[in-house]
Amino acid sequence: MKLFAKIRQVGLATEPLGPTHGRAGDPDPVELVRAIDERSRKVIGRSVAIRQVDAGSCNGCELEIGALSGPVYDLERFGLHVVASPRHADLLLVTGPVTRNMEVPLRKTWEATPDPKLVVAVGECAESCGVFAGSYAVAGRVADVVPVDAVVRGCPPTPTDILRGILAALGKVPHG
Amino acid sequence: MGETLLPQTLFLAMVGGYAATAAALVVPQSPRLSRWVGAAGSTIGASAGLALAAAVLVTGTPFVAQAPGILTPAGGLLLSLDRLGALFLAVLSGVAIPASVFGLGYTAGYGGRYSLGWMAFNTGGFLLAMSLVVCAANVITLVLAWELMALASYFLVVTEHDDPAVTRAGVWYAAMTHAGLLAILAAFFLLGAASGSTGWSFGELRSASPSLSPVVRNAVFLLALAGFGSKAGLVPLHIWLPRAHPAAPSHVSALMSGAMVKLGLYGILRVGLDLLGVGPLWWGTVVIGLGAASALVGVLYALVDDDLKRLLAYSTVENVGLVCLGIGAGMVFRSLGDLEASALAFTAALLHVINHAAFKGTLFLAVGSIVHATGTRDMNRLGGLARRMPWTTPVFLVGALGLAALPPLNGFVSEWLLFQSFLPGVASSRASIAVLLTLGVGTLALAGGLAAATCVKAFGISCLAIPRSSRAEAAHDAPGSMRAGMVALALACPALAVFTIPLLRTVTSVLGELMAVPGAWPPPNAGFTVQAPGVDARMSPVAILVVLVGVLAGVWLAVRLLASRRRRTGETWGCGRIVQTPRMQYTATAFAEPLRRVFDELYRPADDLIVDVHPDSRYFIQGIEYRSRLPRWFMRFLYGPVVQAVVWAATRTRTLQSGSVNLYLAYIVAVLVVLLGLTIGF
Repeated sequence: MKLFAKIRQVGLATEPLGPTHGRAGDPDPVELVRAIDERSRKVIGRSVAIRQVDAGSCNGCELEIGALSGPVYDLERFGLHVVASPRHADLLLVTGPVTRNMEVPLRKTWEATPDPKLVVAVGECAESCGVFAGSYAVAGRVADVVPVDAVVRGCPPTPTDILRGILAALGKVPHG
Repeated sequence: MGETLLPQTLFLAMVGGYAATAAALVVPQSPRLSRWVGAAGSTIGASAGLALAAAVLVTGTPFVAQAPGILTPAGGLLLSLDRLGALFLAVLSGVAIPASVFGLGYTAGYGGRYSLGWMAFNTGGFLLAMSLVVCAANVITLVLAWELMALASYFLVVTEHDDPAVTRAGVWYAAMTHAGLLAILAAFFLLGAASGSTGWSFGELRSASPSLSPVVRNAVFLLALAGFGSKAGLVPLHIWLPRAHPAAPSHVSALMSGAMVKLGLYGILRVGLDLLGVGPLWWGTVVIGLGAASALVGVLYALVDDDLKRLLAYSTVENVGLVCLGIGAGMVFRSLGDLEASALAFTAALLHVINHAAFKGTLFLAVGSIVHATGTRDMNRLGGLARRMPWTTPVFLVGALGLAALPPLNGFVSEWLLFQSFLPGVASSRASIAVLLTLGVGTLALAGGLAAATCVKAFGISCLAIPRSSRAEAAHDAPGSMRAGMVALALACPALAVFTIPLLRTVTSVLGELMAVPGAWPPPNAGFTVQAPGVDARMSPVAILVVLVGVLAGVWLAVRLLASRRRRTGETWGCGRIVQTPRMQYTATAFAEPLRRVFDELYRPADDLIVDVHPDSRYFIQGIEYRSRLPRWFMRFLYGPVVQAVVWAATRTRTLQSGSVNLYLAYIVAVLVVLLGLTIGF
C-alpha cells in the first residue's frame, strides 16, 4: 500500500528531453535519436539492439550509458533497446581499456554477435586506454582486440555523445 | 478343411518356435549359435503368435485346444483363444518380434560372462508362457502358465547375477509376483468352489458367477485385482517394477513392460469384465482410484529419477494407471447401464494398452542401445548422443513423443480418447459420479503434463548437448540387428496412429464379445475421423499428421529458400567464459528441480548442503557438497513393516529346525499321531 501512496505522490518522474540537457551547442537528443532510428531502419531493417560490454571500465561510462535508459533520455521509447545477449545484438558498446582478463571474453562476445555487427568504443579508455595506458593488467585498446566502427571520446562521454557515436557507427554500414 | 486347420498350424508353429529355443541349451559352448537359435526361435514363435491372433481377431472364431489327459483331477489343460486373449496375444507378439531381433545384437555383450543358451531358453519360455496365459480357458492352465511366466522372467531379471543389486531386485520381483500368485489362486479357488463346477473352466465360471452371493463376488474381485494388479504394477504393488526393469537386460525390459505388465491388465479385464460380469458401482470406483494413484505416483517418481530405465519403469506404472482409469470408468458406466460410454472407456483403455506397448517397447530398446553403447543408465553421465548415435536418437525421440502423448503419434490418440471417455460422466446427474470422473480428468491432465516434462528431460539430457562422461563421448551406434529391431518398433508408433480406425474396429469387436455394445458404437466414421459418442468431439490423427508434416516441410523450405546461405560456425554462447566444460550443462536433477519443489510436500526430499570454509575466513570457500535423496515412502511405511514381520516370523520358525535327528523323528511321530487321531475321530 505504501508503494501505491508513493506512486500517487510522486507522479511521473520524467521531464521533457530538450536542449537544456548536455553542453551548449549539442544537437537536440530527440533529433539525434530520430536520426539513429531512421538510419537503423534503413541499414538493418529495424531498430537497433545494443549489447554493452564492460571490458575493464571504471563504470563512469556505464553510468552515462545507464542514463540513456533513464527517465530523461528513455531510449526504449524510440525502439533502441539494450539486450541481454550478444546473440540478440546488432551493436556492441564497449567501455574501458581491455584488461587481460576480458580480452578473450570480449573477442568471444564479438564472435557471438551475428553479422552485420557494429562496435562503438565508448570513453577515453576504450579509445586510448586513458590513464591505464601501459598498465600490466591492460591488454590494449578496444581497437586492438576487435574492429571498431566508431569512437566516442570523453571521460566520461555524455549520453548525447554516445548517441552521436551510435549514429556515426550506423553511417558506416553499407546498404544491403 | 484347410481353413479350420490354419489356427492349429499357427498355434503349433508358435509353440514349436518358442520350444525350439531350448535347442540353444544343447549347443555346445557357442554363444554365437545360442544367440541365433534363441532369436530365430523367438521370432518364429512370435510371428506365428501374431498370425494366430490376427486370425482369431478377424474371424472371431476362438481357437480351441485341449489336453484333458494332463492333470485330469484339475480339469485338464484347456486352451481357448477368444478375441480379448487374441488382442493381448497380438500385443505381446508384436513387441516380441522386434525385441527378439534386438536381443540378437544386444546379448552379444553377454557372451562369455553369462550363459547365452540359458538366456535364450528362458526368453522362449517366457514368451511361450505369456502366450499360453492369454489362451488359457480354465483355472489350472492359467495358473500354470502364469507361474511359468513368473519363473522364466525371474531368471531373465537375474541374468547379471554377479551384481548384488540385481539379485536383490530379483528377490523383490519373485516375492511380489508370488504374493500376487497367492491372491490370484485364492480368487480362483473361491470362485471355482463357489461355482460348484468340476473343471473350473472359464465357461462354467462365467455362467455360474451371476448367481453367486455378493460377498463371494466382491472377495473374488478384490483378490483378483490385488493379484493381477501386482503384476500390472498398480500402486502400492508397483514396488518391483523400478527394481526389476533396470536389472533385466533391455530387450527383456521391453518385453516385461510392453507385454508382461499388460497381462496383469488382461487378468483384471478377464475377471472383472468377463467372468464376473456386471459388478456393483464401487468396483469401478476402486479401479479408478488405484489407476489415479498409480498414474500420479508413477509420473511423479519418473520425473525426478536420473536412471533412464528406472524412469521408464515408473512411467510404465503411470501408463498402467491411465489404462486402469479407463477400465474403471468403463466399469462404472457399465454398472450405471450407460453402455455407450462404457464401450468408449474400455476402447480407450484397450487402445492405450496397444499404444503403450509400442512406444514403451521402443523406448526400452532405444535405452538398451544407449546402455549397450555407453555402459551407463545414469542420465547425468550421458549427453551428446544425437551426433554419435544417429539411429538410436530418432528412435528415442519417437518413443518419447509417444510417451508424452503428443500428436501425431499413437499415445496422443489413446489419451485423447481417455479424456473423451471421462467427459460423459462429468455431466452425470449423480453428483458422486460427476465428482469422481472430474477428478479423473484432472489426474489425466496432470499426469499427461508431467509425462511430457519427463520426456523432455529424458531425451534432452541424454541425447543433446555435449557428453558428460568419457564413455558417452566414445559412444557408437548399435549394430544392425539392434537397429532393425528398434526402428521397426518405432515405426509402429506413427503407424498405430494412422491406422486408428481399423484398430478401433478391432477393439470394438473384442468388446462386442464380452458385453453388449450398442449398435451406435463405433459411430460411422467420416473418413479418418475419430468420433466419440455422447460428446461431440472429432479428431483425425491423419489430418494432424498431414498438417504437422506440411507445416514442418513449409518451414524447412522457407528457410532453405529465403534465408541467407552464408553460415558461420561458432561455439555456444557461454557469457564469454574462457573454458566451458560438460559440467556446466543442465543436469537431469536440475531440470526436474523446479517441479520437485512444486511437489515438495509429496516428495519431502532430504537435502544436505555442506559448505567447507577456509579456517581463517568464512568468506573463502574450499568446497561445497550438495546431496539430495528422496525417501522411499512406500518402502518405509508399507513394505518395511511387512518385511520386518516376515523376518521375525522366519527367525521364530527357525528354532524348529535344530539339526537334531531325534527331534525330527519326534515331529514325524507327533504328526502321525495327530493324523491318526483325526482319521479315527472322523
